[in-house]
Amino acid sequence: MSNGPAGGVLVVLEQHDGELHRLSAEALAAGRMLAAKVGGRVECALLRAPGQAVALTGVPGRVHAVEHPLLAAYTSDGYTAALEQLIRTLTPSHVVLPHTYQVRDYAPALATRFRQVLLSDVTAIHDTETGPVFVRQLLQGKLNADYRATGAGPCFVSVQAGSFLAEDAATDAAEVVAFAPVLEAAQIRTRAGERFREAAHTVDLGSAAVIVSVGRGIGEEANIPLVQELADALGAELAASRPICDSGWVPMERQVGSSGQTVAPKLYLAVGISGAIQHLVGMKGSKCVIAINKDEHAPIFEVADFGVVGDLFEMVPELTKAVRAAR
Amino acid sequence: MRVAMLHCGGATAIGFLGRAGDACLLGTLILAEPEHFSGTEITLLLLAMLASAGLFLQRLWPILQTIHHAQPEQDFHLRPLGRRTAAFVWEVLLQGKVIRQRPLPGLAHAFVFWGFLAFALVSLNHVATGLRLGFLPPQSWAGRFYFDFAAVWALLVAVSIVGLFVRRFFVRPIWLGEHLSYESGVIAGLIFLLMVSYLGAFAVAPGGSAVKLLWWSHTAALLVFLPLIPHTKHLHLVLSPLTVFLKRDSFAQIPRLHGDEDFGLVAGKDVTQLIALQTYSCVECGRCTEHCPAATTGKVLNPKEVVLGLRSYLNTVGPASEVPLLAEARPDTAYAPTLSMEAVFGCTTCGSCEFQCPVGIQHVPVIVGLRRGAVNTGTWEDDYGTKLFLALEKHGNALGLSAAERDKFVTKQGFPIFDGTQEYCLWLGCMGGYDPKGREIIADFARVMHFLGTSFGVLKKERCTGDPARRLGNDLLFGTLADSGLKSLEAAKVQKIVAICPHCVRTIAEDWREYGIAPQIEHHSEFMARHRDRLPQQQGQSIVYHDPCYLGRYREQYDAPRQVVQQAGALVEAPRHRERSFCCGAGGGLAFLGEEHGERVSHVRAQELVATGADVVGTACPFCNTMFRDALHETERQPQLLDIAQLTARALPSQPPGGEP
Amino acid sequence: MKIVVAVKQVPERDAAIRVGADGRWIEEEDLSYTINEPDAYALEEALQLKEKHGGEVVVVGAGPERVTSTLREALAKGADRAIHVEAVDLGERDTLGVAQVLADAIAAEAPDLVLTGLQSDDLGLGQTGVVMAELLGLPHATIIMQVEVTASGLRVKQELEDGWFQHVEMPLPALLTMQSGGNKLRYATLMGIKKAKAKELKTETAAAAAASPSARLERVYLPQRQKHTEMLTGSPAEVAAKLVQILKNDVRVL
Repeated sequence: MSNGPAGGVLVVLEQHDGELHRLSAEALAAGRMLAAKVGGRVECALLRAPGQAVALTGVPGRVHAVEHPLLAAYTSDGYTAALEQLIRTLTPSHVVLPHTYQVRDYAPALATRFRQVLLSDVTAIHDTETGPVFVRQLLQGKLNADYRATGAGPCFVSVQAGSFLAEDAATDAAEVVAFAPVLEAAQIRTRAGERFREAAHTVDLGSAAVIVSVGRGIGEEANIPLVQELADALGAELAASRPICDSGWVPMERQVGSSGQTVAPKLYLAVGISGAIQHLVGMKGSKCVIAINKDEHAPIFEVADFGVVGDLFEMVPELTKAVRAAR
Repeated sequence: MRVAMLHCGGATAIGFLGRAGDACLLGTLILAEPEHFSGTEITLLLLAMLASAGLFLQRLWPILQTIHHAQPEQDFHLRPLGRRTAAFVWEVLLQGKVIRQRPLPGLAHAFVFWGFLAFALVSLNHVATGLRLGFLPPQSWAGRFYFDFAAVWALLVAVSIVGLFVRRFFVRPIWLGEHLSYESGVIAGLIFLLMVSYLGAFAVAPGGSAVKLLWWSHTAALLVFLPLIPHTKHLHLVLSPLTVFLKRDSFAQIPRLHGDEDFGLVAGKDVTQLIALQTYSCVECGRCTEHCPAATTGKVLNPKEVVLGLRSYLNTVGPASEVPLLAEARPDTAYAPTLSMEAVFGCTTCGSCEFQCPVGIQHVPVIVGLRRGAVNTGTWEDDYGTKLFLALEKHGNALGLSAAERDKFVTKQGFPIFDGTQEYCLWLGCMGGYDPKGREIIADFARVMHFLGTSFGVLKKERCTGDPARRLGNDLLFGTLADSGLKSLEAAKVQKIVAICPHCVRTIAEDWREYGIAPQIEHHSEFMARHRDRLPQQQGQSIVYHDPCYLGRYREQYDAPRQVVQQAGALVEAPRHRERSFCCGAGGGLAFLGEEHGERVSHVRAQELVATGADVVGTACPFCNTMFRDALHETERQPQLLDIAQLTARALPSQPPGGEP
Repeated sequence: MKIVVAVKQVPERDAAIRVGADGRWIEEEDLSYTINEPDAYALEEALQLKEKHGGEVVVVGAGPERVTSTLREALAKGADRAIHVEAVDLGERDTLGVAQVLADAIAAEAPDLVLTGLQSDDLGLGQTGVVMAELLGLPHATIIMQVEVTASGLRVKQELEDGWFQHVEMPLPALLTMQSGGNKLRYATLMGIKKAKAKELKTETAAAAAASPSARLERVYLPQRQKHTEMLTGSPAEVAAKLVQILKNDVRVL
């Protein structure tokens, strides 16, 4: 068993089937930034079954490999108990985790073991004379808040995706130190089954990540393939406003709007859609809206994050080409 | 023929028919009555009368009992009697509605009705004669006059009933139902027999056996006819005058709920006396269905079948029952599949059925009542409906958008917030506050108000009037919204409201009354019509005006919007206009309930409007506007689509005088 | 099955936000409050489980007096009883402190299942459920879409990242935090409201905060970046190039 120095920052890396979760690198970046402010070393922790290979490219310094057969698969009980033991051993001042689904599942319980709370989903860390301040978003991003840790134990922080830029891969290989927690099968109360994805039944625009949607501006049915090609290039689902579906140019089940489906993709690319209210209510939950329309006064621009006033017949093929080139 | 005239008593029927008018005016024809009735005959007559009356009451009595045992009507007032009397005179005595809405069959029906009235005395004397109690001797001056007078009616009735018979059995309009009603045929036959046997008595010599034969056939027809009345739809003969007189106060009025156990029409126990009376009055003419936008575009809803379904429920289950009324909520669906959730939630509440009904049935409160029963108890499960209710619960607007969106629009337009110094509160409504097209209408109407120098402000916070919740039967939600609306108007000290949406106007003016007194409200068509002299007169374009249901039938505003349209161009009328206007499909909350089955109501109407050849489709309701916006995409020609506010504003100078923003 | 649903009352989602005078919280004056959306789904799941398996649904909510309106709504939607843990100082307590107050009330009920939303619409910390599980000594699972009662306990469908799911099994009693959208919410009905009048709403006073909080909210402020539409101009090829950059860097779909 290897003891790290008291204080410092412990970054918990997340791995799935031997691959590091993409947010692990961002958590590491946050951890290093925090260490620069509070002092102390940055070390990492990784949970795995003994003998399990985990690619640690880009992870510098010491990695505490918490190893136990009961850690082969993730369980909240197993991870909480194992990490509790590691943290009690290492006594870091801060524990930084990526704000993943898995962390959300066990980290609050882990913090509770130390009578601490997790500062979750942190987007920035500011340095002040009296110590670091952690920025979180409140009220669905409508408000920012500064939090300060005031507890006696280690401070637990999880960081939001995209908030801390992952650094370039370090050249030094990680120094892996094994840590064997004491775990018993009876401690683990939940059992997880295989991961699965929903069978793609009919068209489920509701869960689509990217949607390219076409409206009246397309003019006639013969032009639909133009937009379909863009959707294919983006790996997107094709959707349409009601008049297009009414005309039968796009199947009815791909209609977005009050009489069709309600969608909330990461990207909603509206092509030739003016933005009637019936349509807007169906897509207002989209994270990012890009609109292409020849009418600069089209209401769709009011809900768009990015707008292009122009001829879709010029714009769409050009964009398809550019997207293909970027892939 | 000439001979027949000279020898009146022996005139042939043909001769009589040939000169009926002249003959009666001259008083030359005399009704032949049997001169003697034997004791056996009298006994026979008395027994027949007893049997007839017995059979009549055997059916009528339980019906009256059912109506009597239905839930007593609360909040019912006979006053104002003037309005009731006027309706009675126009609809019943003058048969005004029947004739106006279906002129030919209407007139035929009116002749039969008036003929029956004329015949009342004749029939009474006829039976009395058989009991040796005749009081109107045919030879007397009064007798001659009255029997000849009745004979003219008899002729009109006979011709009319033949006409109606031909219509029902040979022309067969689908509104009368898929199946031929043989009872109607029997009734028509009996009426015809009654008339012919009466008229025949003018053509036979007095004292002969032919007279007796005619008398007895007339009597038989009469005594068979009587019990048939309550056993068939001809019950309306007895009930409908009462039904018309007792109709609920205003058009499509949704009654108040009473007590903690009243959720609307859930089960038989909730059916009120008025509803029961109305269902038994149904004459199955199908006018409601003929004019129903749902029924005529292939939906399950058939307003006539809803009424008949209710009647059949009352007959088989009874008025005090806990058995649910709607098919989906019942363990078996043996009663009437047409009395179902699917049917009642297909209603746009356009009110055509209620407007058309000649016997005073008020369909809208029944259909909305059934919806209330389903929604207030949580029985109705519909994804779109739930989404709408939750949007109204959470955001206070039907579109489920953030209230901040309305604030942005108000700021962008520079609308002042109502602070008591302005004359009008401009009510934006969900469409005016959130819908891009509705916002254009509001912006243009604001320009009109600026141009006229009328001061206005908008409420800082405005929530939906609750119209879709009201029509869909969600009383909790409607009550919450009405209450909050009344409070914000009161807090802002609003005296006068103007709105672009007839649904807002109706709901605030009528439906909110359950919760308090709202300030006076008018529709922008009424406002603009009043100031039309100061608005520019435009030439050139032809405009077909579409009457919104909630402005027309609900508010009886047909002329105001037309005056505004005439100021903006040449008014063109659609085939169905004014009180016969055909719905756009949006009302009754249906704008929010997802895709229709069958043909879209809006498409049917849009095609009708386009076929007029007009350059512009003029609307006066943002919901109609939005429905037609989509529908006009599908029509052969795409005329411009403009609200009357837009039609007016386009002729205004671009900068309002007085330099207001 | 006895199910306790912990619900939180939060400001309406579309409320206009103004920072309060002390800069530590928002102006509460004009605010209207509603049930936290994921908690509404937790309540819906509880009601459906009760409809399927029988039992009792108890809602628990902590906060000032206004919280009772949210509890009444839950009763109107079909919950059988409500417990209001009255506390006016929740803002001063950290997640652990709030979870402790709720856990105390829940422990007294000894339920078979505790449900709550995965996070709150206002603070969005997403921890109260898991912390309560830890305090109550219950197994838990988070971000749950569906719940199935089995012979040995529960089988739940858990949402994972990137459109993946898995089933998790656990014994009862247990605690689950529910994701929004797994069920269809029901609308409030007149009948529900009338019935709710007769249902029990018990008020308990929260125990005084035991320890000083381990985290403190120091300051709130409006984020710099407000949403606005960025119009892209240039030749189609230039605009396409800009869009690709946006798709790569801002939207991250490439």
